Amino acid sequence: MATEDARYRQTSQFQLWSFSPTQLSSMREKTNAAARTRIAERLSSLPALANNTSAPTSSANTPDPDGTSTPALPAFLSAPEEAQLVTFFTSELLRAGDHAEMTDEIKATAAAFFRRFYVTNSIMTYPPQEMLIVALFFGCKAEGSFVSITDFVKTFGRENPEEILAGEFLLCQGLRFAIDVKHPFRALRGALMELASHPNVDRARLGAAETRAREILRFSPLITDAYFHYTPSQIMMAALSLADRGLAEQLITQTFHHVAAPTDSGADTPAASGTDGPAKEPAPRSDDKAQIIGSVARDKVLGTIEACRDMLGRELPERREHWTNRAVIKAQITPLRKKLNKCRDPERWNLVELQRARREQAAKKSDSEDGDPDDRDDSKANNKNSNNNNASDAAVFGDALPRDPKRRRVLGEGAGQKGKGLDDPFGGPL
Amino acid sequence: MTLDPIEQLNEDEKRKYIKGKKLGEGTYANVYLGHSRRDPSLLVAIKKIKVQQQYQDGMAPDAVRELKYLRELHHPNIISLLSVFSSKDQNLNLVLEYLPLGDLEMLIRDVDRVRYGAGDIKAWMGMLARAVWFCHDNFVLHRDIKPNNLLIAADGEVKLADFGLARAFADPGRRMTANVITRWYRPPELLFGARHYGGAVDVWSVGMVFAELIIRAPFLAGNTEVEQIALICKQIGTPTEENWPGVTQLREYTVPTDVVAVWGKEAYMGRFGAVGADGVDLLVRTVALDPKKRITAREMLQHRWWRTDPKPTKKEDLPRKSGGAADEKMGADLKRRNGIVDEDASAPRGSKVARKLDFGQAK
Repeated sequence: MATEDARYRQTSQFQLWSFSPTQLSSMREKTNAAARTRIAERLSSLPALANNTSAPTSSANTPDPDGTSTPALPAFLSAPEEAQLVTFFTSELLRAGDHAEMTDEIKATAAAFFRRFYVTNSIMTYPPQEMLIVALFFGCKAEGSFVSITDFVKTFGRENPEEILAGEFLLCQGLRFAIDVKHPFRALRGALMELASHPNVDRARLGAAETRAREILRFSPLITDAYFHYTPSQIMMAALSLADRGLAEQLITQTFHHVAAPTDSGADTPAASGTDGPAKEPAPRSDDKAQIIGSVARDKVLGTIEACRDMLGRELPERREHWTNRAVIKAQITPLRKKLNKCRDPERWNLVELQRARREQAAKKSDSEDGDPDDRDDSKANNKNSNNNNASDAAVFGDALPRDPKRRRVLGEGAGQKGKGLDDPFGGPL
Repeated sequence: MTLDPIEQLNEDEKRKYIKGKKLGEGTYANVYLGHSRRDPSLLVAIKKIKVQQQYQDGMAPDAVRELKYLRELHHPNIISLLSVFSSKDQNLNLVLEYLPLGDLEMLIRDVDRVRYGAGDIKAWMGMLARAVWFCHDNFVLHRDIKPNNLLIAADGEVKLADFGLARAFADPGRRMTANVITRWYRPPELLFGARHYGGAVDVWSVGMVFAELIIRAPFLAGNTEVEQIALICKQIGTPTEENWPGVTQLREYTVPTDVVAVWGKEAYMGRFGAVGADGVDLLVRTVALDPKKRITAREMLQHRWWRTDPKPTKKEDLPRKSGGAADEKMGADLKRRNGIVDEDASAPRGSKVARKLDFGQAK
């Protein structure tokens, strides 16, 4: 079987959820722009909007994709603002996980789920306070801990399991059904075991490094984009380097120890090795070695680890306090959340209502998706008229009524429960 | 309601396949025959996971596990998960490769019409061993290996299916449930309630499948766990501190009072000699009582039996059954519910309910 690298490239973590920083930020921009357009459309189609905002104008019906110049529409969050809120809610997620005494793997998986979900879904579309609990719930399951939903919600001082269950499928879909997350925790244990196998090791130093590195792994990579950009082993090395740079470098230099022999000086010019006859026989092997564990590879690896180290260094575990600091929240987070409360998606925000609407729609569309193949051929024929047609047809006949009360409810919440919306997502202070 | 990008993506995925007739209906899932819209000759099995009445906590554990592991494991001897989508009523649909030739159990049982020999057994066992090695090499325990989870593709390739009980290797020291693997294929450490175990549990099941392929009947078919232990003691030997240091510490360790010494290779030759002395050697190593002494999946692949005569039969020449019966068999295999309810490890507090499992539905 292939090398570990080749195998990592088979994982969904690499294939679906690894991006360069440029790719990631352009995805977030796209998600943000698409959400603005859709929410603007949906808000404008609500007659109640007139009551909700000042001075209805004719332009309310022609949504502006920027969402800024139309007075009737609220100000939308920008992509960087969304990212900042996602980071804030990730810290909330980790606190909630601590509160419920979950394992490191569960918390880490849940955090990865949450951040992945909001790469292709806007925080203006689906409610982050609910989705972070959903991510924790599904994180438990993904890590093999199957818990009763009733007990689960109680842990967070919530009454209603329905909204968590309603979000589960949505989350799963947003993860593109890839629910295996690879973490750096085991890699750290392995690295420490390797370091400990050397003679004359300073055990106290190793112990301290492991403790600190683990502390970093529990927070820094989870609240940053590290999982999108780096492999678990790179993240582990970066955390170890932050904990004890000397030890990390020792591991790297030991691994990439190949020094080109003097006769190999032509390693970069393959032609040279072919001309020298039998004496150079082992040369190709040596070249391979140089490529895998030589100085060029070493420097490349060191560069990557350094970049990851920088990223983790910006969110060291001490920053946990930053994200719960009242002054910080008041200055940076509260304004964004107020903004969010005004620009959220009227059709998607309430997960329970959303699920109900979906089910009704499904029931209407084909009485039994599970029934005879004939039924399915029917719905297939419908589908030919493109999904959009289908959906708008449904809206014309069936959706108008159930939509009305739902909308009122969402708007009502927005207007009446602003204070509650800003509450701690899992109950009071811990 | 208009579609968001994530919903559109799902819709596109769903539209890639056309669902056909129902192959099977069960409490856990319904299975349909389907085909690709673009290439109607590409057949698939669509396993639609039902929203379960008895499981109130959202997506059911078997569905979560199956999704998690099949999404990651890509190997010719493991059933391929081609796609996943949700239907409108929010049911999970797993699109699996279509395996039209039934399963190993069918072939084993049909004594009258299906004849096979040592080369055929070697071929099937080789494919099974590769599948198990691949799982273990990826740190996944299957935990339900048995003949009717070994499905057969159109070209004769054997594919390990049903990952509804699978899990990742636990970190040392972390507990797992002992209530896994269908009884007849369950190793003694699990019958004794071990909470820490590894790939050796699957290897025992492989040994049981191997034995069953040879004698064409389940080798150790206990009706209860106690009976299963008694059968192991009688047919293989009684686990004792001498042959398995530490076994008496396992919390459910009880064995019949008349201790049977572990049988040597010679004792197996009469009943299992059809696969030759080397084959019997491999069999005996897979059923070592002490899991530490049991052969590993990797060592299995290095065993000399594969390289001695007869050669494994080419997969296209393997005996097979064809026709509708096999079709229904895949439906029946995929929809079957496997028995676990609760899982190991630490959940958020207060959630530990160790419910006993019923594996009786297997037979």
